[in-house]
Amino acid sequence: MSEICKYAGDILENSLEKIENLLKADYGISKRSIGLLVLQEDEEIISLVKSGDLESFGQIMEIVNHAKTHFHEPLSYIISQARQEEANSIVSRAIEHSPKRGLPLKEKLSRVMINPITGIPIMLLILYYGIYKFVGKFGAGILVDFIEKDIFEKSINPWVTGIFNSLIHWQALRELFVGEYGVITLGVRYAVALILPIVTTFFIAFAIIEDTGYLPRLALLIDRVFKKIGLSGRAVIPMVLGLGCDTMATMVTRTLPTIRERIIATILLALVVPCSAQLGVILSLLEGNPPGLWVWFGVISLVFLLVGFLSSKILPGDAPSFYMEIPPLRLPKLSNVFVKTYTRVKWYFTEIFPMFIFASMMIWLGQLTGLFTFLTHLLEYPIRWIGLPDKAAVAFLFGFFRRDYGAAGLYDIKKAGLFSGNQLVVACVTLTLFLPCIAQFLMNVKERGWKTGAGISVFILLFSFAVGFILNFIFSAFGVNL
Amino acid sequence: MSFVKKLFSICKTKHSCCGQIQEAAQGVRKIAIVGSPNVGKSVMFNRLTGSYVTVSNYPGTTVEVSRGKTKIGEEEFEVIDTPGMYSLLPITEEEKVARRLLIKEKPNLVIHVIDAKNLERMLPLTLQLIEARLPVVLVLNIIDEAEKIGMKVNIENLEKDLKIPVVATVSTTGRGIDILKGRLEEYVRNM
Repeated sequence: MSEICKYAGDILENSLEKIENLLKADYGISKRSIGLLVLQEDEEIISLVKSGDLESFGQIMEIVNHAKTHFHEPLSYIISQARQEEANSIVSRAIEHSPKRGLPLKEKLSRVMINPITGIPIMLLILYYGIYKFVGKFGAGILVDFIEKDIFEKSINPWVTGIFNSLIHWQALRELFVGEYGVITLGVRYAVALILPIVTTFFIAFAIIEDTGYLPRLALLIDRVFKKIGLSGRAVIPMVLGLGCDTMATMVTRTLPTIRERIIATILLALVVPCSAQLGVILSLLEGNPPGLWVWFGVISLVFLLVGFLSSKILPGDAPSFYMEIPPLRLPKLSNVFVKTYTRVKWYFTEIFPMFIFASMMIWLGQLTGLFTFLTHLLEYPIRWIGLPDKAAVAFLFGFFRRDYGAAGLYDIKKAGLFSGNQLVVACVTLTLFLPCIAQFLMNVKERGWKTGAGISVFILLFSFAVGFILNFIFSAFGVNL
Repeated sequence: MSFVKKLFSICKTKHSCCGQIQEAAQGVRKIAIVGSPNVGKSVMFNRLTGSYVTVSNYPGTTVEVSRGKTKIGEEEFEVIDTPGMYSLLPITEEEKVARRLLIKEKPNLVIHVIDAKNLERMLPLTLQLIEARLPVVLVLNIIDEAEKIGMKVNIENLEKDLKIPVVATVSTTGRGIDILKGRLEEYVRNM
């Protein structure tokens, strides 16, 4: 039987024939296929051949190595190239009527989004209006102000405090509910007044962007940059999802093809990518300080690229290849946006709400036992090294529970007017890089194993403070005043 | 009472389960459905098998594989819905599992489902399957969308070039499924 597909160059066909003649065992598929896969150095097949044809295995690998020296490109590339050519010629005989390829508007728009020259401005526009304006200004600014000041501070807090004051006479127990770090005055307030509006606006913006089919195009746009740091464009999806919730995104790193990419993505998610709640609070913290916002953005981007680049150099493995199906662009459907937003907000909120309550209770317990004061004092040292006021230690201690909880802590400190411009930026940068929340830590351990999960956390703890320290040092050395 | 009935039904299913194993031992012939993701493999699988489907993880992986049964002519076949694959040279875990299924389970028939619109991009896998001497039937699925964009495929030419049966279908509406079954029957008879 004649072969349907011949491969470029006699060398390849000759080597293939020699290998085929050496193969004696039954592999379930043709010797030609096995030979081709061996030539392409498929590990699983090579080990099959090693156990199936042990005596001629050395000879076979010699043929493979010999064939490799004749080509500049990897054999897998040469082989698939030849195969694609064969496929093309078959298709040209089979297709009678090629579709008219006049570019419709949608297709044009799609290309504009992928082309770096036009695509990057579009991406920045989407980030500016979708994230900064809508989430930062509207969600974290206007909505939070309204719920926090008009509803909580004016109505709920005094009312609840009044009730508990009359109900509970034991000061310490009262503190549990309505004290400085009380379950209701802090835990519920953070969850409902700060995080809920921010997360909701973020998920609305995200659902709209997602439903238009923009994300895969963004993946293609950023593919080149990502390749430099050892990730394929496919990793854009978990990274962008990470802006929603890093825990969820860490789970999504499963879609990445190589273990190496998964580890790099997990590190970047845990270290650099802020989740929606954190992002919202940070945007609202730095709102009214545009240079500070730029410095924050610049430092975070730099760290992202640097850490990605370094870890791709340190971690062994192949460079990624990327192949993706692009769905058509379309107008977002209101019902889709609504359902997506609703399910995500519900999922997120039911996860953080008990966590916030639990954290408040832990802090209350810590205060009773003196552990809380001890830990804040302990944290004050690194806090001072990075030039922040002692009070910020509390926010970082919150950060151990969740990064967004910590960011909310910073929000309270800023409201009290305890930060200078520089300190605010340093605090935002450090807390963005700081340890991820407990849920994400557990997810890291679950997905990557104990050793890698714990290793990532230790690295992040040291790294975040180091960056804060350097940033503060640069600020004071150059006399920067933000 | 209903509890007793439940118990009974459990016993019954267990029996039929043993029956399956016995049949497998006697050598039920197998059909594997392969192809890249999002070409309608699973819909095709459901069309062929109906309701008796088991889903289980492939040993040692998190990849799910569905199995069901279908009748081709008078004979009953086991149908395996393999995870999405782009090439015989695997990159992802899904692709590895799909290849392992092809190598280890030695299917008597392989249905390669492709998206007719993307014939050019998906044909290389067909070539690899033919190269592997697997008994392949090529299914140009979602042919309606290809027609909608003005594409017309000459199936006879394709069959002549590839030397395998080629069928055009729309698995979601059921168009072409009967023809596919007919071709499968013919293929099995000549095996």
